Amino acid sequence: MATRATKKTVKKAAAKAVKAVKKVVGKEAPTPAAVRLPALHESTTSSGLKVLAAQRGVLPLVAVRLIIRAGSSVDPADKHGLSDFTARLLRRGTAKLSADELDETIEFVGASFSVGSSEDVLSLFVATPAEHFPEMMSVLGQLVREPSFPEREVELARERALAGFVNDLDDPSVVADRAFNRALWGEHPYGHDVGGSKAHVRTFTREDLVRFHRERMGPRVSLLSVVGAVSPDVVAREAEKAFAGWEGGPEAPVELPPADMKTSGRIILVDKPEQTQTQVRIGGPGFRVGHADYFPAAAMNNVLGGGFTSRLVNEVRVERGLTYGIHSYFEMMNAGGVFGISTFTQTDKTREMIDVTLAEVAKVRQKGITPAELKKAQRYLAGLYPLRTETNESVASVISDIRVHGLGDDWVEKFRERLMEVKPKQTVEVATKYLFAQPPLIVLVGKASEVKKQLTGLGPVTVVPASDYE
Amino acid sequence: MPKAPANSAVRKADPVLQSLFDVQEATLPNGLRVRLLANHDTPVVSLYTFFQVGSRNERPGITGISHLFEHMMFNGAKKYGPKMFDQVLESNGGRSNAYTSTDMTVYYEDFASDALETVLDLESDRMRSLRIDDDALESERQVVMEERRVRVDNDITGTMDEELGTLIWKAHAYRWPVIGWEKDIENISRKDCEQYFRTYYAPNNAVLYICGDIDPKKTLALVRRYYGDIPKGPKPEPVLNAEPVQKGERRAEVRHPAQSPALMLAWHGPAARDEDTLVLDIIQYALTKGEGSRLVKKLVYETQLAVSVMVDWGWRVDPGAIIVYLELKQDSDPRKVEEALYAELARVATEGLTERELQKAKNNLRADHLRELATNSGRAHAMGHYEALLGSWRDGLTLPSVYAAATNEQVKAVAAKYFAPERRSVVTLIPAPGGATDEAVDGAADGKDAE
Repeated sequence: MATRATKKTVKKAAAKAVKAVKKVVGKEAPTPAAVRLPALHESTTSSGLKVLAAQRGVLPLVAVRLIIRAGSSVDPADKHGLSDFTARLLRRGTAKLSADELDETIEFVGASFSVGSSEDVLSLFVATPAEHFPEMMSVLGQLVREPSFPEREVELARERALAGFVNDLDDPSVVADRAFNRALWGEHPYGHDVGGSKAHVRTFTREDLVRFHRERMGPRVSLLSVVGAVSPDVVAREAEKAFAGWEGGPEAPVELPPADMKTSGRIILVDKPEQTQTQVRIGGPGFRVGHADYFPAAAMNNVLGGGFTSRLVNEVRVERGLTYGIHSYFEMMNAGGVFGISTFTQTDKTREMIDVTLAEVAKVRQKGITPAELKKAQRYLAGLYPLRTETNESVASVISDIRVHGLGDDWVEKFRERLMEVKPKQTVEVATKYLFAQPPLIVLVGKASEVKKQLTGLGPVTVVPASDYE
Repeated sequence: MPKAPANSAVRKADPVLQSLFDVQEATLPNGLRVRLLANHDTPVVSLYTFFQVGSRNERPGITGISHLFEHMMFNGAKKYGPKMFDQVLESNGGRSNAYTSTDMTVYYEDFASDALETVLDLESDRMRSLRIDDDALESERQVVMEERRVRVDNDITGTMDEELGTLIWKAHAYRWPVIGWEKDIENISRKDCEQYFRTYYAPNNAVLYICGDIDPKKTLALVRRYYGDIPKGPKPEPVLNAEPVQKGERRAEVRHPAQSPALMLAWHGPAARDEDTLVLDIIQYALTKGEGSRLVKKLVYETQLAVSVMVDWGWRVDPGAIIVYLELKQDSDPRKVEEALYAELARVATEGLTERELQKAKNNLRADHLRELATNSGRAHAMGHYEALLGSWRDGLTLPSVYAAATNEQVKAVAAKYFAPERRSVVTLIPAPGGATDEAVDGAADGKDAE
């Protein structure tokens, strides 16, 4: 909530006076101190669950991440949101513990369990004081082995979710993301919101959850990572206790079809007549996680729309004051990805915003970035990379990702080297490939009566009511 | 001055925390305070600069200047001109940001450890010789207006929060939003900014916190080299807390396009240094931390009147506010929800918490406290936060012991004192059809509704 005391306001940066800026410090890129992961210890429980343990840190805390390759992309065609909904219901009752007892057991000791799905995986995160690690592992095991999905809890959760969908319509940013995702991926399994929609969630029954749990969740498509103040021996022992006898689920993860995005310059204008701003999303195809284009694309994107000195921030925010925030990104998933731009501006500046943004993208597509820009991006990304291995949680995430997406166990250690090896020519290649060689999809959420007349000549416009995205 | 947080008998530094905070402290002749903490786990450093100034130091006519000024700090100084701050920082493997609150303005950088000297050069340059030009101010004003639109005009909680502030406070500067009133933002001048800079951005009104892969001795020498010649400024004027005692419930409605009604309520609370603050932290945790907390259990699960409920008790220099936000279902009756909420709060005042709830809150406060300190950035920020609000960062290390000593008698007394109806302000969001807000404002010829 927007509290007054903690209102964090992101900055800054204007300055029309573009003076002859002195050349940015010319010294060679530093050889950064090595970034390494703590030693990984692997084991497998008798039920077939792979376990990774890494001991680290001075604080008596442990982070646990269990990922199950049963994300929203395996939601049944008429049950969008089922993976995420199932994840949430796991902690609303097990064979041994009621929802209240689970809450009490977890929360009394100062631990936290968070659950949820992404497109690719269903995840459970546990953060616990180290002295309660064995007990929390036992609870985690119960949640995935023997959830009871009590009828009453399913009903309550469904009611809450439906009320949530209604209230989400008041958040233009959420509506924009939903509309963008749906239009971009279409019929592909990534083409629905992870949380589903009102029409689907209202049909969820206890049987749906029981079936999803039995058919989709199992030890052979899962990975447990434990990082923090606990020895690998204890991790292996407690994992065995917690997950012995876990059965069910598929033998291997589901193979998804490749993305088939047809963007072709379509514009979707979602009408929210009370808005004084337009939310803007622009996008097209990107690439899957672990793709060879990753490093050149990351460097190129940092120049286009990454940090505070990116071209988009400079042209759109600093030079023209059109927005408070704009960024471009590559979103990478297991079966494909997106290159997108996200921003907002006041209603009557919508067209100017789109034009300026697309012109900047086109410049990079046609002419690439300069060697100096590349070098800056490399140093920026390399300098900050160690922050990704700073906490137990982030280490648990990175080691899970490495295994699930096949990034290779030297991913962290070699990251900066690979980044620094990127050549200008490669950045031109990725720019040609991903920066809207085909006209992108544009999604706008705002006051349609004012916005539509600004869109002449931009592409075919479809106006839809916000309620389509409940 | 408010009294110290708790009697010293219970104020013992936590041994785990004590071992983490082997801090070197120094004060330069110009008054700049420096706190240095080495941690060689990863080759990165976090630098925080805390200026003890926020919207609390503003006055009508220039509300929002602290925040607008925060933006101006990135627009060029003498050595590093326009756009160079971020250019140089990012080229050296660093990133920066800042935030403004009611009580402080905070700038921070995370960076590769070999960029330390560059970062000190950049930060000291803008403290020494910020340049404020009209073009930059105009452009930044537009950005801030856009920020205001996204945070307030197009955000229900932002709209309600702004209304609530004017109910809670009649005389104190906490009355206006940190981002400022629209007309004030439009009218802040370069002169206002220059005066603001001279008054509040002097080294004697600032503290540096540097945590991470550093050699404290060498780092202190660098700080002296880069900051030592910045002249001391006059001591800023103290802020008067002229807030009169509230004598009865205050209410307002906000009619705004929305799917469902919502409630935002506040009670006058104590200042951060008051020991009641820590008891309120415990109460806050017992009320809404986790699925099994009192209000979540009651209002979200049992009665299902609310979709979500949050309590925000944020520490402030002067007496602050305990804020409750309830997102309701479409058919929920806000009055009914209020009654259910008040009944729960009254129960805390008369019966207290169960011993288990009390222990649970303490366990969670400790766990969250430790988690906050897991990163360099978290440690640097925590030190700054405690120093700004409690007077010394060392007091932060004693929090677990103070929480541990808190009793149910204190909980009851504090709940009874602060959750009294006459200390309460209530804003109800009434869903109104789209566009109604514009018409209402346009039609308010006497200006009454236009605020």
